[in-house]
Amino acid sequence: MTDTELRIRLDGVSLCYRLAKQRIPSLKEYAIHWMRGALSYEKLWAVRDLSLTVRRGETLGIVGRNGAGKSTLLKVISRVLKPTTGKAEIHGRLSPILELGTGFDMELTGLENVYLNALLLGRSRREIDARVGDIVEFSGLGDFIRAPIRNYSSGMQARLGFSVATAWVPEILILDEVLAVGDASFITKCTDRIREFHDAGTTVLMVSHSAAAVRQNCSRCVWLDAGRLRADGATEEVLERYAHAGTEPDQRAVGHLHLG
Amino acid sequence: MREALKYRDLVRTLVARELKVRYRRSAIGFVWTMLQPLLMMLVMQLVFSAIFRVQLPNYSVYALAGILFWNFFSQSIVASMNSLRGNAQLLQKLPVPKAVFPLATVISGVVNLLFALVPLFGLLLVTGHSLAPSLFFLPVSIFLAALFTLGAGLLLSPLAVFFSDVVELIGVLLTLLMYLTPVIYPQEIVPARMRWVVHYNPIRSILEVFRDPIYLHKVPPLSHLTVSIAIAALAFGLGVWVFRRSSDRIPFYI
Repeated sequence: MTDTELRIRLDGVSLCYRLAKQRIPSLKEYAIHWMRGALSYEKLWAVRDLSLTVRRGETLGIVGRNGAGKSTLLKVISRVLKPTTGKAEIHGRLSPILELGTGFDMELTGLENVYLNALLLGRSRREIDARVGDIVEFSGLGDFIRAPIRNYSSGMQARLGFSVATAWVPEILILDEVLAVGDASFITKCTDRIREFHDAGTTVLMVSHSAAAVRQNCSRCVWLDAGRLRADGATEEVLERYAHAGTEPDQRAVGHLHLG
Repeated sequence: MREALKYRDLVRTLVARELKVRYRRSAIGFVWTMLQPLLMMLVMQLVFSAIFRVQLPNYSVYALAGILFWNFFSQSIVASMNSLRGNAQLLQKLPVPKAVFPLATVISGVVNLLFALVPLFGLLLVTGHSLAPSLFFLPVSIFLAALFTLGAGLLLSPLAVFFSDVVELIGVLLTLLMYLTPVIYPQEIVPARMRWVVHYNPIRSILEVFRDPIYLHKVPPLSHLTVSIAIAALAFGLGVWVFRRSSDRIPFYI
């Protein structure tokens, strides 16, 4: 395989959130604590020493329990967070959907938000002008596109967000649990689009708690556990191991959160 | 900063949105931008000519020009500081160059300043202060003021993310700074032993480059202009440097 095929290379990536033991939201308190020599931090390593290589056209599912570091990993790959240690090499244009509707302005109409959102993704006005018709059509929002977004349901926002973020074929598409909202017909549409992207050579990374969604969209899967890579391989195989581990008693942290 | 240039369409949209919010909220929002400095000027005129007995020819022009400059400077700084915090959610989810937010804030401040120049020109006509050709120098003055302000905004906005009380603290410091700068009072009323404070105040230098063409009908002398350019460039450079160094840490704190 040539190097031009390389999309993502993480080399010993760790990411640490430094949580102040005392909440220090102000300069005044900071100064007081600093003078007392009482500044202590709790280090929370969300991702630990993780190495991973993803190539062009791969579809990678990421599974793991809540708090395993999945979303943090996606943020590192999306260049939102810089790794504390290690190296993250990302090649190619990203289309990260870490949360549907990020950057929407509730006061603006759907159409105005299409522009705002695409601009935030780094598109130029001219590029958007050329695609705005397709975006609106794919969203299936019809006349609602002229209404302020605060009147939208979360499903409608999800439709618009996905339509904008996938209006251009990116080199890397990143999806964090975004297929969970939206009705069945829209999810089918999204799945079709992801497949089209895959055929066009896009590398797809998706976090999902739905084994079915991972199975349907991804040929490769990694399992994150407490910030470490626990397994990396064919989807079926990894999902099976993960499912077995899930029945073991180590669900303590999130066990009672499984309400729905 | 180079990245922000690539995102210029985004910056333009953010500026338009900021202006729209400002002017849509209240029907007289637009009028208010012009009226507020005028009212402020009347108050200053009352205070300085009636109470302090300051004799300065055409004080109203002097004060209004100063107030417009100061409003631009202080409002842009406070707004830049809030711009990153206001977009916290976004900065944790999208790899947007963070500098676009303070940049858009300062640019919309410039647009507001341009609107506010209209009543100033009106005042020039009304008071018979005449519209001198030196006014054509104003774009240069405004550019320098914007560069200086952007530098200060870039310097302070990450700090406002790390510590939430910095915004209030800077608010107080800005008030102090206003009184250390001859914005509303003539430099001559400062006692001789205190004059060095005003003299070495870098903002005074930027302010004079803005006010001289309006009030004194003259383009600032080259020596003074050079100093002002150096100050603005230094502030901008320092702001960019600090912003770049702290930029990676911003998403962790909001």
